[in-house]
Amino acid sequence: MLQRVLIYGSRAFIAIAFALPIYWVLVIATGYHGAVYALPPVWVPLFHWSPFRDVLTHTHWSRYLMNSVFISAMTIILVVITSALAGYALAELRFPGNSLYFYAILGVMMLPQQALLVPQYVMMYHLHLLNNYAGLIVPFAASTSGIFLFRQFFKKLPVSYREIAQLEGVGTLRYIWRVAVPLARPAVATTVLLTFISSWNQFQWPLIMTNSPAIQPIELALSHYMQAYQANWRELTSAALIALAPILLVFAFTQRHIVNAVAGGELSQKD
Amino acid sequence: MGEPLRSGMVDSPRSLTEKLPSWARWSRWREVLVGYGLILPSLWVFLVFYYGPALFLLYIAFFHWNIFASQSTFVGFHNFVELVHQPVFWQSLLNTAYYVVLVVPVTTLLALALALLLREATRIRGGGISRALVFLPHVTPVVATSIIWVWIFDPNFGLANTVLRFLHLPQLQWLASVHWALPSVMIYTVWHSAGLYTILFLAGLATIPRQVLEAAQVDGARSWFTFRRILWPLISPITFFVIVLVSINTMQTFSQIYTLTGGPHGGAGGPAFSTTTDSLLIYQTAFLYEHFSLASAMSLVLFVLILVLTLGQKFLADRFVFYR
Repeated sequence: MLQRVLIYGSRAFIAIAFALPIYWVLVIATGYHGAVYALPPVWVPLFHWSPFRDVLTHTHWSRYLMNSVFISAMTIILVVITSALAGYALAELRFPGNSLYFYAILGVMMLPQQALLVPQYVMMYHLHLLNNYAGLIVPFAASTSGIFLFRQFFKKLPVSYREIAQLEGVGTLRYIWRVAVPLARPAVATTVLLTFISSWNQFQWPLIMTNSPAIQPIELALSHYMQAYQANWRELTSAALIALAPILLVFAFTQRHIVNAVAGGELSQKD
Repeated sequence: MGEPLRSGMVDSPRSLTEKLPSWARWSRWREVLVGYGLILPSLWVFLVFYYGPALFLLYIAFFHWNIFASQSTFVGFHNFVELVHQPVFWQSLLNTAYYVVLVVPVTTLLALALALLLREATRIRGGGISRALVFLPHVTPVVATSIIWVWIFDPNFGLANTVLRFLHLPQLQWLASVHWALPSVMIYTVWHSAGLYTILFLAGLATIPRQVLEAAQVDGARSWFTFRRILWPLISPITFFVIVLVSINTMQTFSQIYTLTGGPHGGAGGPAFSTTTDSLLIYQTAFLYEHFSLASAMSLVLFVLILVLTLGQKFLADRFVFYR
């Protein structure tokens, strides 16, 4: 009995320790003025929302927020389309180079991103993709894990569905869009969620590929603001809260699905 | 009879279309064309933004060039010679090594311990919640959460020193100190990423048949013995996978170093280059000082280092990892 209490207690303690810094953003953002400097620290959020409201309405943060929303939404749409198409081709169609493409995608996963930034910047410069929305979206319009996920799901579809569709004269694109993708709904959900998280959290790419404040996503704006006015803790944490809130909301409702997707579905039997 | 069919021929359209009626041959060709059409969008992205730049890196590292000038001159290994004469380059390699050597074992062991603790979490009420909370930091944006960690590491008002004061330990300067700035970044990194690897370990543990563990318990095996002789060998493939992943990721840490060490402490990578790692130096050389030739030479060094590390770990794994 004591052992069980110990296990559950330590489990709860550890979980809270991991979440504590995120909770602290809320405490400081909605605390009284100067609460950050209080000793001993204030532990409870006071829910003074006025600095938060000022940040949302009187500054450029809403613009940055909309930039992030737009970039993430476009990336998600494109990733789902390209992943579904390539995943279908890899799973169902026989063409020379099918398995070669499979390994080429694995190869993309192995490329060290930090070593590629300089040549990527040159490429972006020559394609005129610096400093515009397209440059923040198009390079992320294909996802290696998304393609593998759709491939895995499409492989499980019965062959007879495709044969019937062929006999009925249904085109491949129509079949993918009307039959295969709706049947692979978990793959769509996983791809949307994981793309949203990676796209929303994008920081280094916009830092390098843009220098105009009008198109920068909220993470980049936060970092600029942080370097300029670090002492303004309440506004800073309020802005951080704006960047965090969508992720926290999405995660609160889909954590089971996300954790399972990251675990490669291995945990699903137990849930 | 002709030659026996070679296995490589099976996929080629010709071998498949021979001796088929013309409509079937057309539908076979159609399948090939549709296949290429469907992979084209993603293939284009991978070629233009990933494979193209990777090949391009091999080229530009051996040239003296500038992004805005049209001509470039072949200089052989000159960029690399210039690189090894930069003390800050060696400093960055040392910092990266220090960072990787500490973060990899700490993260791996912590993730394994958390996974063992959180195992069977979903069998009890609220167990899934603690699993989710451990994973939560990994999905949060780095800049937004770095802000709060800058406050935690604040020497005067931060939570870190408050805890040290409570424990009657000497207080630290954290991000403002040459000795503690990089360890502070390590703490953030472990906090931010341990959840991911915990989940990977949990996935590995979930594949171990319950009967194996129950049999060990019936035999009266002690828990350390069960772990060392049964669990550890069974999860060694996933441990290896996690170690490779943590190493590759930590060698390329950028965002938290840039954010945590920037601001009032005077430029990212400080104080006194104590947190300048390879990826930060590449960023600064290329995009702050616009010294692209040098930055591409550094990128190629990093590329090769990561490749060697991956292959070296693969070699070790072939000798020591137990695959079922």
